[in-house]
Amino acid sequence: MLSFAARRLAVAALLVWAVASLVFLVIHLIPGDPAELLLAQGGVAPDPDSVAALREKLGLDQPLWVQYRDHLASLLHADFGLSMVDEHPIGAEIALRLPRTLELVGLAGLLATLIGLPLGILAALTIGRLPDRILSAAAGLALSVPVFVVGTLAVLVLAQQLHWVPAGGYVPLAKDPLRHFILVLMPAATIALGLAAAVLRVTRSAVLEVLERDHVRAAQARGLPPVTIVRRHVLRNALMPVVTVLALHLGSLLGGTVLVEFVFNYPGLSGYLVRAVEARDYPEVTAIVLVISALFVLLNLLIDLCYVLIDPRVRHG
Amino acid sequence: MTVGAPLVRAEGLSRSFTRGGRLLGRGVPLLAVQNIDFAIRRGEAVGVVGESGCGKSTLGRLLLRLLPPSNGRVLFEDADLATLSHAKLRRLRRRMQMVFQDPYASLDPRRSVGAQIADGLTVHRLVAPKDAADRVAALLRQVQLDPSYAARLPHQFSGGQRQRVAIARALATQPDFVVADEPVSALDVSVQAQIVNLLADLRSELGLALVFISHDLHVVRHLCDRIVVMYLGRIVEQGPARAVFDAPAHPYTRALLAATPSLHRRVRTAPLAGELPSASKPPSGCVFRTRCPDARPRCADAVPQLEPASGDGTRQVACWRNGEPTA
Amino acid sequence: MQKLLMPGLLLTVIVAAALLAPVLPLPDPVRQDVGARLAGPSLAHWAGQDEYGRDVLARLVWGARVSLSVAFAASFLAAIAGMFLGVLGGYFRGLVELATVRAAEVVLCFPPLLLALLVVTLLGPGADTLIFCLAILFAPGFARVAYAETLATRNLDYVTAQTSLGTPTVRILMRTLLPNIAAPLIVQFSLTIAAALLLESGLSFLGLGVVPPAPSWGLMIRSARATMEQAPLLLVWPCLALSGTVLILNLLCDRLRDVLDPRGSRARPGFLRTLAALPSKRATSMPTASGLLSVRGLTLEAPGPHGPIPVVRGVEFDVAPGETVAIVGESGSGKTLTGLAIMGLLPPAISVVSGEIVLSSRSGQQLDILRLREREIRALRGGDIAMVFQDPSSSLNPLHRTGSPIAESLRAHGNPGHRVTELLRRVGLPDPSRAARAYPHELSGGQRQRVMIATAIANHPRLLVADEPTTALDVTVQAQILDLLSDLKRSDQGMGMIFVSHNLAVVSEIADRVVVMYAGQVVEQGPAAEVFAHPHHPYTAALIASTPEDDIDRLATIAGAVPQPWALPQGCSFAPRCGHATPGCESQAPELFRHGERRAARCLRWREFA
Repeated sequence: MLSFAARRLAVAALLVWAVASLVFLVIHLIPGDPAELLLAQGGVAPDPDSVAALREKLGLDQPLWVQYRDHLASLLHADFGLSMVDEHPIGAEIALRLPRTLELVGLAGLLATLIGLPLGILAALTIGRLPDRILSAAAGLALSVPVFVVGTLAVLVLAQQLHWVPAGGYVPLAKDPLRHFILVLMPAATIALGLAAAVLRVTRSAVLEVLERDHVRAAQARGLPPVTIVRRHVLRNALMPVVTVLALHLGSLLGGTVLVEFVFNYPGLSGYLVRAVEARDYPEVTAIVLVISALFVLLNLLIDLCYVLIDPRVRHG
Repeated sequence: MTVGAPLVRAEGLSRSFTRGGRLLGRGVPLLAVQNIDFAIRRGEAVGVVGESGCGKSTLGRLLLRLLPPSNGRVLFEDADLATLSHAKLRRLRRRMQMVFQDPYASLDPRRSVGAQIADGLTVHRLVAPKDAADRVAALLRQVQLDPSYAARLPHQFSGGQRQRVAIARALATQPDFVVADEPVSALDVSVQAQIVNLLADLRSELGLALVFISHDLHVVRHLCDRIVVMYLGRIVEQGPARAVFDAPAHPYTRALLAATPSLHRRVRTAPLAGELPSASKPPSGCVFRTRCPDARPRCADAVPQLEPASGDGTRQVACWRNGEPTA
Repeated sequence: MQKLLMPGLLLTVIVAAALLAPVLPLPDPVRQDVGARLAGPSLAHWAGQDEYGRDVLARLVWGARVSLSVAFAASFLAAIAGMFLGVLGGYFRGLVELATVRAAEVVLCFPPLLLALLVVTLLGPGADTLIFCLAILFAPGFARVAYAETLATRNLDYVTAQTSLGTPTVRILMRTLLPNIAAPLIVQFSLTIAAALLLESGLSFLGLGVVPPAPSWGLMIRSARATMEQAPLLLVWPCLALSGTVLILNLLCDRLRDVLDPRGSRARPGFLRTLAALPSKRATSMPTASGLLSVRGLTLEAPGPHGPIPVVRGVEFDVAPGETVAIVGESGSGKTLTGLAIMGLLPPAISVVSGEIVLSSRSGQQLDILRLREREIRALRGGDIAMVFQDPSSSLNPLHRTGSPIAESLRAHGNPGHRVTELLRRVGLPDPSRAARAYPHELSGGQRQRVMIATAIANHPRLLVADEPTTALDVTVQAQILDLLSDLKRSDQGMGMIFVSHNLAVVSEIADRVVVMYAGQVVEQGPAAEVFAHPHHPYTAALIASTPEDDIDRLATIAGAVPQPWALPQGCSFAPRCGHATPGCESQAPELFRHGERRAARCLRWREFA
């Protein structure tokens, strides 16, 4: 168990390093000078002096391996440097916005699981009958509507037409807890819709798959009541594939925050990223991409550890 | 029995697999086959017998070099299969073929059986393309199938018929050496006998050297001149089929024979205790000693070598108590 | 294939509209008419005009062209690259795998949209950038699918057979491997197009994808957002177009999966079947079991393409207390279904047509299992009747300790759960209290079967149904389990046992009586020793003769194969393979002729053999 966790942790560290290196490589291996690329606006060639100044500021005049070493060293100290546009410290801005995005992601994940899991079980147990048909069709529909369409239409209907909720924004928890909650719930529910549909589908097929295994028939042969069989011999076994698919959807979950924060004007990390991309503030972009990717790796690590709790074979394997 | 130099010879053959090896994780080495010497002459049929996990299938694949050995070598007539160039090995494959256990997995579900039988012919350019169909028809007849079946897909056949197709495919290149890995164990009893008889006929007709791998001692006895008994990756006994059956020299062979259920015997001796030890942690000394009814303390000290059995020069046995008077 | 028609047709319409955009009679999608800003639908502009007065319908169609071509081109590139990496990695493994699949998977460490943003920052927005970036994003997904499928396929015997034929590697990959892994890759391709469409529109929505004034659905939603108070319809059109297209693609993908990859689509599991019990008879006509169990006229059917297929036909036999009855037969004989019918655990596809299975229960009642309600049968299962299955590895829940099923069984029938260790000791597990805490994967196959047996005997069943309990085990372990079963019978005098097996030799060692089945019927039954010494049915005789045991040079064979249940011969089912068949055998189906007290044979000529 401990060696398993240690091994997974080492792999995660390796992945973060790979991500950091990849970000570095992408910026340096793409043909053309990053400084020129960044300054080029509307096809006008930038003036050579400002390019040279930017090169020096970004350390691009150093040999590649020195840049790589400095890049990794500053990351180790959680030092992300200053923004190119207004020179604010990037680390501080990330520290301010990261908890907001985490709150959004956590709430969305929680909602999706709370809705998707029980409905998926219900769909599996009523396969082919009305509840299953309705739920499966609804899940298919929910998976097909892009998250920004859901968000935009929600704003159009709920905020603009009905005036039930504000159109977006953010209020700190301490200032107005209720308003804070409503403002987080809107984008979270938007993300959760598609995710819940994905959870529903995979839960349904996982439960159906487990129901056909020999050990369920053996449990029946022991004379156990159906409720006990589902509770003890189906649900926990079905959880493995559900967790796996949740892990696969983490990427779209985090990606979804980019769109949803934009739609709801939510000042999280992803909104910061969009702003940075628009301004082509390249230290900002790399820093945020790195933080979110590391978060992604970390969440994957947590999911791997979930396997250990669910399945004794992983523990001993 | 033909006397002469062996067609295929294995020397000190070992193969280990690594189980559970992952990124940053150490795998457990698993010894599938250990230090095996083996030889088969032209026209000879050798049965390789043992329970699951004894390494018999691995041995079969090593002999055909479908797996590279970890140690030791395999010689086909005097060519070392490990040092042959890729092209030469491919050419040599015409002369050695395999028949698999599961007739449902050994045929490509998407191609007609005729095309699959013809594969060997076209790969080695044995017949002109226009004559391929005739040759396929002749092969189908040889395995007692209707030549018109050539155009059908595998799923249109029963298990026994598929195994006939697989045999026809193996025979297409006119091999000298065939390894059949449990070719009848997936078949119904009434069909098993058909396939065993077919293999026996083809062997004597074509003069094949046949290695017949099976967990069923009785099936092997009907087909083979010689029997090799394996346990946990090692050969524990080998010799002429009848002699091994009538007076097994190794305690494992005795136990295996005693455990095999029989239609006619009413009284059975007490079965062997315990189960096969893990191949990743084999017992010290003689690998069979943990379950051996005749084990002595010294059996744990060193691995017994395959030596001529006392009182029967045609047989070899790997047991420390070989030569002692048996109880 | 019919399932693909509807989504396929809809998609064709969308793609055709996109392809034909230049020749369709549509206004110029970029011509502005500021005067008609935000105008509603009109005859000239069916879907209205946008904030610059451009025709919305034209922009929708042209937008489809841009969005779809980006999605398709990106998916195509990703498919080619991913397939190449995945197949090479999966086939050659080792370093090649590291350099292809594992390297590609680094991309998966980024949430996809983030990587896209990173690339856009560097290359600037535009359709070409998008295609390039989406291709990189989706290639690892393809590589994974191709890799997994290649891994699963490369060790199949038919691929190994190609190697052993000496076929060159490239030819193996192209002709044997690729056609066999194509189905999941096609499904993945349609999935990827949908995902690419979503990502493209998302990026365009953020203003980082397709560059204006080129129309794209994402861009249209973006600009309509600004004016949604005045013209909400402008927002609705592109949302509908985008969601609808993705919906159709997803539908197509689901249907494709059903058609190409039948493993995914499933029928109702047996667990969820509501047992269709036969209508109960009047109490007076209820037969009584002569001993412990009486099976009479059991007839079962399976659905077939041309109506129901009989799989078990009029099976009858009795089990006395303390007796071991073996049901022997080849695959397709109906022996396993007969065993499952006694447990009331038939697979959902199988329906009971007629018959009775009467058990004299512990409470002294005569119960017809085919006419009980599910709740009533459940009380019997694991109590009066228990079952041991063929594969002990899959019959134990891998997530529960091995003591748990035994405790469950005890409690389900109102017995205290503390007898677990005692039962494990009873079935000969060396360290029972430790074994109870072990997980199934820590035990060997033989030990697992002992646990299953301990579970089955936990509540002292009156009848034990053992379905091929030793088939998955090695010979030496099989001998141990057979010994254990005989030992249990000796110590528990009253327990009857039904032993289902294909192996005559095993049966001869354990059975008191045998029931030989062929093509769904009982063809012979009688005391084991008598049947094996003097079979009355030619099939039994031939089966014994073809068992490789006697010291003879050549095995006797039975010509042909077992008839398929949908193509049963008219007369005696065995007649086409029988060496003693007469013309009468082929026209007249024989009944089960009883002979003396204990023997019966379904053969017109049985007297000649007896």
